[in-house]
Amino acid sequence: MRELEARRVSFSRQGRGLIIADISFKLLAGKKMAILGANGAGKTTLLSLLGGRLAPSAGAVLLDRESVGNIAPRALAKKVAFLPQIERLPFNYRVLEFVLMGRAPHIQPLSLPGAADEAKARSALAELGLAALEGLRAGEISGGEFQLVRMARCLAQEAELLLLDEPTSLLDPANARRVARELASLASKGKTIVFATHDIALARSLADLILILGNHGVLRLGPPAEVLRPEYLGQAFGVEFDLGQIPTAYANLA
Amino acid sequence: MKSARSLRLSFVVALAATFLLYLFAGRYPGPGFTNPASLFSDETARRIFFSIRLPRALGAILLGAVLGGSGAAFQTIFGNPLVDAGFLGVSQGAAFGAAGALVAASLPVVKALLPAFAINAFVSLVSFVMALAALGASLALARRFKFGGQVLRLILAGLAVSAFFSSLLAAVKYVADPLSQLPDIVFWTMGSLTAMGWQRFWTIAPISLFSLGFLFLMRWRATLLSLDDEVSRSMGLRPEIERAAIAVIAATGVAVVTAACGIVSWIGLVVPQVARIYAGADGRNSIPLSMAGGAIFALAADGIARTLFPGELPLGIVTALLGAIAFAALLASRSTEMAR
Repeated sequence: MRELEARRVSFSRQGRGLIIADISFKLLAGKKMAILGANGAGKTTLLSLLGGRLAPSAGAVLLDRESVGNIAPRALAKKVAFLPQIERLPFNYRVLEFVLMGRAPHIQPLSLPGAADEAKARSALAELGLAALEGLRAGEISGGEFQLVRMARCLAQEAELLLLDEPTSLLDPANARRVARELASLASKGKTIVFATHDIALARSLADLILILGNHGVLRLGPPAEVLRPEYLGQAFGVEFDLGQIPTAYANLA
Repeated sequence: MKSARSLRLSFVVALAATFLLYLFAGRYPGPGFTNPASLFSDETARRIFFSIRLPRALGAILLGAVLGGSGAAFQTIFGNPLVDAGFLGVSQGAAFGAAGALVAASLPVVKALLPAFAINAFVSLVSFVMALAALGASLALARRFKFGGQVLRLILAGLAVSAFFSSLLAAVKYVADPLSQLPDIVFWTMGSLTAMGWQRFWTIAPISLFSLGFLFLMRWRATLLSLDDEVSRSMGLRPEIERAAIAVIAATGVAVVTAACGIVSWIGLVVPQVARIYAGADGRNSIPLSMAGGAIFALAADGIARTLFPGELPLGIVTALLGAIAFAALLASRSTEMAR
């Protein structure tokens, strides 16, 4: 992957009106973009549009100049991984079994994952420092660990673009920092990351580019230093901010 | 995984042992086990062994494997441990079809057209067709519902269709002749392998084996479908289409064995729970083990149903009774955390 482009993307749903209005940006490979915005501003919808799970009502999302809507699901899943904010765990799978599921796009429908896939799942776990959890059931680990295990599943998918919906929203500060550190390390290895978040510290420490959604469109788009200002945040969230209230970046992520 | 391999091996050994016990247990010449030597000396013993017990044992294996395997597949693809193939209306549709056919068979018009020896085949055929009709109705209805995700819509549609066919079944029972027809209907709804000879076995084998083979190949895919649709879709699956394909093929297998054997409850719902306790929830292990476990359970239950008393017990009574006791005992005695 070389670049992700949103070209005048709009999305509306019957009875709900416009949810995403005329959004454009370009993100080069290896860059990290944060999407900030109030609840209901359309962050998750925008991620769904970028991942091709929703089709824009107008405009286009282009991955290396090809519309994501035209890419077959399996081919797309090899390029783009998506992590929803919350996820129902239907059965108490073992951690390794769960991470192995990320190999799906690389495996024919009537086949099973092989030893090579298992090795990739293991190395994804190791990359996030989770190797010791491999044999445990998902119900036996903490919420923070489960969030990281889900990220390991995304890594096992070997996509170059990761779309993450509020990756730290359910985590305590220590685990949030751990996730931030792992994301920074992934980005340094060349992954392109787009994440929606309310965690301003995460956005500031990780993102090269921040998109603030307001009124369903782009309120502000630019590097953290330019857009994380009281006036813009105040406008986005409808509350007063002063400089002292804007969280600083997490220290020592690298 | 070595433990998974030894688990598979132990299920295969248990299946083989149950199969042999089943073949030699019976009531000829007296209650107990047939002496293997008599197969060489006693013509009647040989006939009973090869023409009655062997096809019936193989039929029991197919019945149990289809019910257990499809139950496991259904629970996996719907991410819900409390469903089985019956919940899409298949069982009630089959029951209504069989009951309707039994009553219709006594109408003068049908009698004139249908030779007496073909009545069983007629009942099975109508039952199979109605089971598929119920399945089709559930799927079509679910598509028309305007709310909820695919899983909820299918479950609600299945509920409505099941209720519809059970009311039709009640109506047929109401008009059925209480002396000549009603007992047959009731006996059918309790399930039985009494009529399972070679002919019937070969009738159900192709579709059953196809269904089993497909579910076996799709066992990891089914596991992926247990995840939320937005997750499985982001991994390149087409969850609606793949789930519907697995559900239809699993339910078709159930329709064909139910048409031949009547309603055998409990196996599809409970055997997968036991398989998950031993093997974990991943369909790569739990679906094949549910097939083997269903076969073992059906063999054991039918072995008891046909040997314990001089007259046969309906199979469904034994599966439910034995299953309920064994299941409760298992849950109470094992400290294993259940993988749901």
